[in-house]
Amino acid sequence: MSIFEEVVRWFLDPAHWDGTFGIPNRLWEHVQMSFLATLTAAVLALPVGVLLGHYGRFGNLAINVSNVGRALPSFGILVLAVPLFGIGAAPAFIALVALAIPPIVTNSYVGMRDVDPELKEAARGLGMREHVALLRVEMPVALPVIMAGIRTAGVQVVATATLAAVVAWGGLGRFIVDGFAQRDDVQIFAGAILVAALAMVAELALAGLQWLATPRPMRASMRWFSRPGRTDELVLQGG
Amino acid sequence: MLRLDATDPWIRWDWLGHHTDVIWQALVQHIQLTGIAVLGGLAIATPVGLLVWRWRALRNPVLSVAGILYTIPSLALFALLVPFTGLTVVTAEIGLVSYTILILVRNIVVGLDGVPAEIREAATGMGYRPAKRLLTIDIPLALPVIVAGVRLATVTTIGLVTVTALLGEGGLGQLILAGLIQDFKTPLVVGLAGSVVLAVAADLLLAGAQRLATPWRSSR
Amino acid sequence: MRDWGFRAILSGVLGLSLLASACGSSGGGSPSAGSSGKPIASQMILGGPPECPTRPFCEKGLMDKYGLTFKDFKPLDAGGPLTKAALDRGDIQIGLLFSSDGSIAAKGYVVLNDDKHLQNADNVVPVGRSAALKSDAQTLLNQIDSKLNTSDLAGMNKSADIDKQDPAQIASDYLKKIGVSTSGGGSGKGKITVAGFNFSESSILAQIYGQALKGIGYDVSYKLNLGNREVVEPALEKGDIDLYPGYAATELEFINKAKGEATPDPAATVKLLNGYLQAKGLIALDPSAAQDQNAFAVTKETANKWHLVNLSDLAKNG
Repeated sequence: MSIFEEVVRWFLDPAHWDGTFGIPNRLWEHVQMSFLATLTAAVLALPVGVLLGHYGRFGNLAINVSNVGRALPSFGILVLAVPLFGIGAAPAFIALVALAIPPIVTNSYVGMRDVDPELKEAARGLGMREHVALLRVEMPVALPVIMAGIRTAGVQVVATATLAAVVAWGGLGRFIVDGFAQRDDVQIFAGAILVAALAMVAELALAGLQWLATPRPMRASMRWFSRPGRTDELVLQGG
Repeated sequence: MLRLDATDPWIRWDWLGHHTDVIWQALVQHIQLTGIAVLGGLAIATPVGLLVWRWRALRNPVLSVAGILYTIPSLALFALLVPFTGLTVVTAEIGLVSYTILILVRNIVVGLDGVPAEIREAATGMGYRPAKRLLTIDIPLALPVIVAGVRLATVTTIGLVTVTALLGEGGLGQLILAGLIQDFKTPLVVGLAGSVVLAVAADLLLAGAQRLATPWRSSR
Repeated sequence: MRDWGFRAILSGVLGLSLLASACGSSGGGSPSAGSSGKPIASQMILGGPPECPTRPFCEKGLMDKYGLTFKDFKPLDAGGPLTKAALDRGDIQIGLLFSSDGSIAAKGYVVLNDDKHLQNADNVVPVGRSAALKSDAQTLLNQIDSKLNTSDLAGMNKSADIDKQDPAQIASDYLKKIGVSTSGGGSGKGKITVAGFNFSESSILAQIYGQALKGIGYDVSYKLNLGNREVVEPALEKGDIDLYPGYAATELEFINKAKGEATPDPAATVKLLNGYLQAKGLIALDPSAAQDQNAFAVTKETANKWHLVNLSDLAKNG
């Protein structure tokens, strides 16, 4: 029986859909953790990036924070969280939030900076107060770039959550890590398929969200592979 | 929630002193794994990128598929290979090269696209044959974006190499893993810091190379 | 530009997030106090290395021999810091540790008695490729094994785990103590790759064997923290490595696919082991007196709460 047939058998086995080690539980763990971590990072990072971009302050810092973030190996950050915060869900969560913050800060900053100054002046000219202009004029225009940052962060989080199985957490990475330990090639392969599928679904979902956030006239020029922002620094992440 | 273990400081300098050879070997392995991945990726991505750029029909499908494949987490990609190529350097390199190819193909295409049409037409008008135009006009003008892609690929790969510790490779990632297994902070800190320093150094070096290669562009 | 679609999604996202955080993560946490008339084991979460559920001397053995079914299993590490941290935090109530672990006493864990003798003669024994281990190598390794005992091992483990001393240093100190030299025996006798499992005791043993072999002129390289037996033994068969420090009974039950042939007699166990190894071109040398078995440990509080002394106590209702 080829490994592909064995993997199909593995997915058809009802035992693998049951209990703590079953696919539904691991999937739920992974999705819940990724969702909460990305959301928390967005809540923390958005105001910072948006305000810095609006006032045009600390530009170099805001842009370079994602360069530094890219230089941090996510595996190292996960392991670093263990002596600091113990084992379990909490250190994984903290590490994931820490890794998701840089791309959101940078993209929020860049998005706000790229708002046409004439637009801001027009809003001012219409008598809008500053915070109203920020919320109703600047942010909607910056939204596509901001969403691109959240999309990058979200995919990064899903990927790193896979690694968190190495530091005694659960999630879909559990199948891969346990499979390595048990030399169970079928489990390894099946786990990889599950993780890859989730990552792609997350990417498509966030891309859809980005599309929704893009003003209608600009949607036609969106491509799956493009992320608005500086073209010579396509903000990509991996994990 | 914070666990502070007084018996295990963040850095034990005596350990560092006794393990310079271990650290050096880890660093060398890290650089080797990264170098093979980036150079190999470049070698494969260049012809692929040129092909995709020339044949418009290939453009959207290839780049869309590449974008989606890029989202596959590295551990999953390695795991897809393990049943076939085992816990070996080959598995690690196939995985690492895959990611660099995805980045580089994208940047090569976008970079070549960015060459202004007027310049290309002028060159053709001056009698440049396609091959000469490619080598002397298109590629040099696309260079900033391409080198940016090499920078991104290099920094990304340096981070991903640490994950290959789970395959028995790892470079500086081996020190990180040892720190986890032995509950020992010093190798963890050394591995993490070393990896970050390596990534930053590579990024700065390549940024410098980018500026050298394109003296006519104002630096960003 | 009224993107109601986007606003709807945003509110949906916020609503979902509240829901998600409300449905907190399940698992972990101590079981409720007071007797509930169910077997004690069914109220406990077992922690150990990921391969534990399939291993005859681990969860599978506890199920088969003791009739224990645990509430859940948490994959952690091989008797290492993750397992101990989980025990301390209460994420698990019983964990797999190693009997020669120096920190068991230091942390006040209670090791439950193996009253039904699930564990057998897990004496340290070098397992290697016959082609790579010439007679002088074999004699030397047997000589070391004749001197090594469990208290030596426990002391060395303590240096590694608690004092964070380097396994290589611990090994060379030990070799000096028993009068085995680590250099000066010439060179060029041949290449030997010594591997160790993914816990520090194995690194120490691998270094002891490796440094001694270097002392008589072999060209030794190491692959430490290679993984568990499921990784290391196939590597030996393939020839990727030449030698590793094994544990007699567990090696036997791994090779014979859990037939249950291992006994508390190390010599007999090794003899049976060699019966299987010979066909693969491998050999197990003389076992040492030093033993390291799986030890199932609980915290003092847990032991007191349910009056636990033996593993079979876990089958009682509590």
